[in-house]
Parts: sequence; structure tokens; C-alpha cells
Amino acid sequence: MEIIEKIKTNKSIDNQTEIQKICLDKLQSSPLPNPRSEQWRLSNKSKLSNFLDYSVNENNSKFDIPYPKNSQNNIRLIIGENCQIKLIEKNYSIRQLSEDELQKYIKEQISCFNQNENWSDLLNLSLSCKNNILGLKINGSKIPPIEIFSYASSNSLNAKTLIIFLEKNCNVELLQVNLGEDTSSLSQSTFFCLEENSSLNHGVVSFGINKSNLLNSLNVIQQKNSEYNLGSLHFKFNYARFEIRIKQSEGNAKTNIKGMQITKKDEQISTYTKIDFDGPNGFLDQINKSLADDKSHAIFEGSIIVPKIAQKTDASQLSRNLLLSNRAQIDTKPQLEIIADDVKCKHGATISQLNEEELFYMRTRGITLTEASKLQLSSYFQEIISFIPVSKDRWDLLDQLLNEN
Amino acid sequence: MGVSFVRVYKANCNKLFLDNMVNENLVKDVVKEPYKYGFVTDIETEKIEKGLNEDIIKLISQKKEEPRFLLDFRLKAFKKWQKMKEPDWAALGYKKIDYQDIIYYSAPKQKEKISSLDEVDPKLLETFDKLGIPLTEQKKLTNVAVDAVFDSVSIATTFREELAKHGVIFCSISEAVKNHADLIEKYLGTVVPASDNYFAALNSAVFSDGSFVYIPKGVTCPMDLSSYFRINSGDTGQFERTLIIAEESSSVSYLEGCTAPMFDTNTLHAAVVELIALDDASIKYSTVQNWYAGDEEGVGGIFNFVTKRGKCLGKRSKISWSQVETGSAITWKYPSCLLLGEESVGEFYSVALTNNLQQADTGTKMIHIGPKTKSTIVSKGISAGNSKNSYRGLVKMGTKATGSRNYSQCDSMLIGDQASANTFPYIKSQQPNSEIEHEASTCRISEDQLFYLQSRGIEFEEAVSMMVSGFCRDVFNQLPMEFAAEADKLLALKLEGSVG
Repeated sequence: MEIIEKIKTNKSIDNQTEIQKICLDKLQSSPLPNPRSEQWRLSNKSKLSNFLDYSVNENNSKFDIPYPKNSQNNIRLIIGENCQIKLIEKNYSIRQLSEDELQKYIKEQISCFNQNENWSDLLNLSLSCKNNILGLKINGSKIPPIEIFSYASSNSLNAKTLIIFLEKNCNVELLQVNLGEDTSSLSQSTFFCLEENSSLNHGVVSFGINKSNLLNSLNVIQQKNSEYNLGSLHFKFNYARFEIRIKQSEGNAKTNIKGMQITKKDEQISTYTKIDFDGPNGFLDQINKSLADDKSHAIFEGSIIVPKIAQKTDASQLSRNLLLSNRAQIDTKPQLEIIADDVKCKHGATISQLNEEELFYMRTRGITLTEASKLQLSSYFQEIISFIPVSKDRWDLLDQLLNEN
Repeated sequence: MGVSFVRVYKANCNKLFLDNMVNENLVKDVVKEPYKYGFVTDIETEKIEKGLNEDIIKLISQKKEEPRFLLDFRLKAFKKWQKMKEPDWAALGYKKIDYQDIIYYSAPKQKEKISSLDEVDPKLLETFDKLGIPLTEQKKLTNVAVDAVFDSVSIATTFREELAKHGVIFCSISEAVKNHADLIEKYLGTVVPASDNYFAALNSAVFSDGSFVYIPKGVTCPMDLSSYFRINSGDTGQFERTLIIAEESSSVSYLEGCTAPMFDTNTLHAAVVELIALDDASIKYSTVQNWYAGDEEGVGGIFNFVTKRGKCLGKRSKISWSQVETGSAITWKYPSCLLLGEESVGEFYSVALTNNLQQADTGTKMIHIGPKTKSTIVSKGISAGNSKNSYRGLVKMGTKATGSRNYSQCDSMLIGDQASANTFPYIKSQQPNSEIEHEASTCRISEDQLFYLQSRGIEFEEAVSMMVSGFCRDVFNQLPMEFAAEADKLLALKLEGSVG
């Protein structure tokens, strides 16, 4: 019950929005996720309770963006800060969702929540105050790249919510950056609705500093002929959980996902994905990579659900894992649930260490072991990193990762 | 049989458009085939009253004249079972079982002691004849030693003398309890402890009979051993227990077959199989499971909730499971290998076919504990009708399993758009110097191949059957000769009438 008390004591009941009340109400019946359920079974209980330990912070302190803005004409938003935006240009418009639109959409979403599966969202929505919810409606073409930041300040639990509607025929590149400061917890929930013929290249880069925690949940609804590409990277979190739920509501949509998580020390980072094909001719290509070192634990669970209506679905899921230390562990569970008979579905999983033969080959050519391992890792990372859109170049992500390894 | 056209069916899921070519109804007809083992033998049986409590367990133990240690084992298991909750994590749905409405002991009435087959009730022998099981020793040509379990009690074990010459012990577990109590006490419950799971605990408390095999050091068992399980009564649960011990450098191939009559009620079958392989020993365990699956509406049928596990204790030991699962209303089993010994090997080859309203949640667990252990998993699931077929497997590399390897492949084939195929592989690694590979695919019968076969004058039904047979070839190749033919026939029977 502690978490409920904490949310309640944080603000007087009068100040709570309707959404917060609904979510709190739902959380009352089961304040914590069922630790025996498939989605939470491997989650480290003490780390999760540590996540909830910090006091809730609704005020946003000054936040320094970790890299300078370049000359490009991209749009940069920080959830909680410059929340007022209305851009109407010749080719496109970006405007904020009205209070009513937000309420309506979130309520709709909550009505289909499953207590266990959407626990992170329930927690997020019961914590997120008005200021920390950013809702956008995007329309048009030739839209400059967008960057959206969420961050958690030290010694506090922060909740940020992002809701984006992509209207028909619009193409967007969006990079979402989640940052956790020292000993902080960030709860980030994101909702996307892709209307017909729209496409979104979405990047998610999340990293912490020291003992940062993250609960990151991503909900995507794809209408027909929409395309959703996701490149994601999670690293340097004491505890991080990335939940991806994608629904192709009428089929005929394309989804590409390339994700990676890197764990060290005694960190635990997990990725859970659930892809629902609710119509025919859906397409999915997913790859998830994990790298676990020291005493860390990396988890991937992915499920693909193909009901009878989803004929001619073409889905593939691959989980590739590198285990670099004797004390680290990796759990992976790609899963298929299929009823439609005319489908192509496959999945694969591998767990191994760096390829010894390749290392040997490079060493015989005079490359040192360290260099050779770096080369191998860089090719391992590159596939994912090159898929993360927009500002990826300025991030020097690869260098950052390699220098740590 | 002409399957050479198909060879190994590659489940690479080409674009498959069956709709235009295949009349849906035809497929439905093809997969419909009556159950031919559904008869009941009218034989006098001795049953105890329904229900489960300590007194019943004491009664079973007393009827079987068991030593004290076994009664204690049973009672301890019962206490544990009472505290356990029936699991519900499998992708299965069934009506709650009333454990007090089951008869836990039923034995065909017969003379006190049987010294030879002549004394066995002729009706019983007739039953086994109907099932096509060579129980009489005259049929030596088949060269398979058989242990037949009818309802709960082992009826006859053949070829005993021949086996005794090699020092092989092959008898019912009740006999082993009397004659080889030391071995039973030493090994029973060491692979599947009584508290392992709900159904294993239940079995440990009430098991009535089963087979016992002991292969001494250095002996290669001169013939395949086989046991046939038959449930005859409608309200009896069958709880048999099999224990196979292969001493150093020995090897054995064991076959298991199961059938049951047709009843409207569901009968529970909760068996436990334990295998132990010491240094350099190898055990091959093959099952053709054809319990009654219930009718087309899903009424009746066996609930087959089985715990099978092998322990590769010794260095370079090997345990290989192969199974063909076609029967049972619900199958819930995971034949597993605990790979403890250095360089030990575990294998699992499975074909699971579900039709009508059958449900199966089956797969394997490969637990790599020792260094340089290897395991292979090949699973083929075929779902037809309204059935549900799930592969659930666990591959785990422990911290000491350096240089270990696993390869898993699970393919599913869907026939019709009402059936479901699920794959749940759990993979866990704690050892960087080990490799795990897993791949899975789902497909339907390939239109191209079907067209090719039909254009060569092969009937539709036969073509489907050949392709299913080809799809399962990797597994059939692992079955002993006698069983491979039987399995092929069984699949053909389930899917159509003409292949074979």
C-alpha cells in the first residue's frame, strides 16, 4: 500500500485530476504487480521497491541538455518545461492536444488496461500532473526532426507522459531521450497513435548516471498502411524496464523494431514487447540485442499474437545476446501465439560470447585483443545504433559505448 | 510408401495460398478419423472406493505388500500434495478435477500369483492382441520384451529369462519393490522428488504400478524393452511410475505405448518417469501416446499430466527422449534432462499432433549443469481442427556449464484456421562460454509441394499425409524401427486413412 499512500500524501485529493483518480483507484486493488506473473517474474523485487523509494517530484528543476543544439532546424521539447507549443507552418502543423482530447484519449486507453501488464502506465498516469503530460497532434509533411527529453532529477521519483497523434499521411522523425540523474527514478509512458498512411521513425535513447531507475512504457496503435520504425538503446541503469506494446489495429501495417540493452555491474535491464496483429497483412521485423557483463542481468521477453483475423501476417523476431561474464545472466523468451493458418512467423534466439575465431583472425593480423573485441562489439552495436533516427550522429553513442567496454 | 518425393520438409514458410486449391471441408474430412482402441474389455476388476486420504494410501500400500519406507514415501508425498495448489500457468483450459471422485486403485481380478502367461485371464490377452501387442512369448520374432500395465497393475512381463541371462532386470515396479527394494529405496524420487510439482506429488502418493528397468554395468540390453499402458475403467485414474537405471557403460532402448477406451468422462493419467544414466551409459526412451482424445465435441478423453525426467549423472552419459503425441484430450508434459555429468548429452525429439478440441502444452527442459554438456531439441507441432498446441521449453546454462551447447528447433504446422500453435521457449544463460541457439517457425502445408504431388497423380489426402510425414521426418528418424512405422501409421490414421 505504501506507493498509494505516497501518491496520496503528495497532493491533496482536490488537486488530483480525474485521470489520476481513476488510476489510483485501479492501483488500490493491486498496488504492486503480481511478482509471479510472466511479465514480472524475473524483475528484481528489491530494485523495483528501490524505484518506488524516492519521494515524488512534480516540479522540474533546471535541466541541461547533454549536447548542444546544432544548426539544423529541429524542434526540441522538454517534457515539464516548455510545454506550450503551437507551430503552424506552410507544410505542417504541430499543436498541443486540448485538455478534452487528452482526457478522452487517456480514458479510452485506461479502459483497455490490464492491471498487471499496464501497471507501469497506471503508476505513471497516477503520478503525472498536468505539467508533466505533453500531448501533440502532428499534421503535414516535411516536418523537421523532433527531439523530446524526459529527465528525472536526483533523489526523486519523476513521472512524464507523452501522447502523440500522427494524422493521416504525415511522416515524422522523432528522437526521445530519457535521462536519469544520480539516484533517481523516472517513470515514462508514451502513447502514439499513427493514423492511416502515416509513418514514424522513432528513436529511444535512455541512459542513467549512477543508481538511476527507469520504467519506460511505450504504447503504439497503428492504423492501416502506417509504418512504425523503432530504434532503442538502454544503458547505465540500476534498474530499467522497457515495455513496448504495439497494436496493428486493422492490419496492413509495417513495424520494424531494433532494440538494444547493455548491462554492467549489478544492473538489471529488461525489455518486454507485445505485438498484436488485429488485422490481415501485418508485417513485423524485430531484433533485440542484449549485452550483459559483470554481475548484471539482461532480460528480453517478446510475444507475437496472431489471431484468426490476421491472415497473411509476416512476423519475425530475433533475440541475440552476448554474455561476457561468468556472473552475469541473460534470460530470453521470444514467443509466438498463432491461430491464423496462412502466416509466416518465425523467431530465433542465440546466447553466446564474442566469436573466438573472429578474434583470433584479427589478432593474427596484428590487432590487439582489446582492439579486436572493440571492433566486434562495434559491429554488434552498429546495426542498432544506425537505426536510431535524427540526432544519433551527434550522440557519438558508439564511442561512448565502446569506451566503456 | 513413396515419401521419397518429400524428403525432409523444409518449414521455411514460402508464401502459402492454399485457399483456392483446397476445399476446406476436404481438410476437415482428412483429419477426422475414429479412434480404434476405444473398446472396453469386460473383465472383473478389483477396485477400492473413490476418494483420497491417508487411509486409501495405506490401503494401496497394504494391498501391494510394500515395505515401510515406501509407505512413508507415499504419506510424505501426500502431505506435500495437500499443501500444494493445482498449477494453472499452462495455456490449457479444463474443468476442475475432483480428486475425491477418482478411484486410485483398480486391478484386474486374477489368481493370487501368476507364474506364466497361461494363467493370465484370456480376455486380457485378447485385449492386448486387439491392441496389436505381442504379449505371448511365442512371438519371439518381434524380439521386444513387453511389460503390460492394465489399469493400475502390471499384467505380464515377457522375455524375462532371456533378459536375466544378461543381468537385466525388467519387471513391474511392485515386483521390484519386493525383490530389489535396495535399488528402489536408493533411486526412487531422486530425479523427480515427491514435491516437484502437483501431479508428481499426487503420483508419488498413490502410484500403483509401472515398470522398472535395471541395466548392469557394461551391458547393452539385448532387445528393446517395451511397456504398454491401458486404462480400462472410466473412473479410474492411472498413476504409473517408471524407473530406469543404466549403470556404467550400459545402454537400453525403452518404448512406451498407451491406449484407453472411449468414455464420456475425463480420466486422469498422472505418471512419473525417472531415468538415471551413469558414466558412459545411454538411455533412449520412446513414447507413442495414443490415449483416447475425446470425441469431436471434446467430451471425454484422457487428461495426460505427466512428469518425465532423466538425470545424466555420469560422465559422457546420454538420455534421448523421442515422443509421438497424438492422443489425450489434454497433454501436459515436458520430458526433461538434467545434464550433470561432464560431456553428457540430452536429446528431445517430439511430434505432437492435436485435432478437434485437443489441447497440448508440451516441450522439454534441458538443464545444463556440468561442463561440455550438449543438448538438441527438435519439436514438430501439428494443429488441426479447433485444437491448441503449444511448445514450451526451457534451456538453462548453469554457471559451471562451460563449453556447453544447445540447439533447438521448433516448427509448427497449422491445418485450418481454427487451430492455434504457440511457442514459448524460455532461455536462460549464466555461462558466457556456452552457446544456445533457438529457432522456430510456423507454416501451413505448402501449396507448391501439394500441387507438385497432385500433378504427379497423387491423391490430395495422400499428398497431405506424405507432407505431414515429411514434416515429422526428423523426429521419426529417431524412433526405433518398430515405433517409427507405428508412429507414421498413427499420424496417417489421425490425419487420413490411406498413407502408410
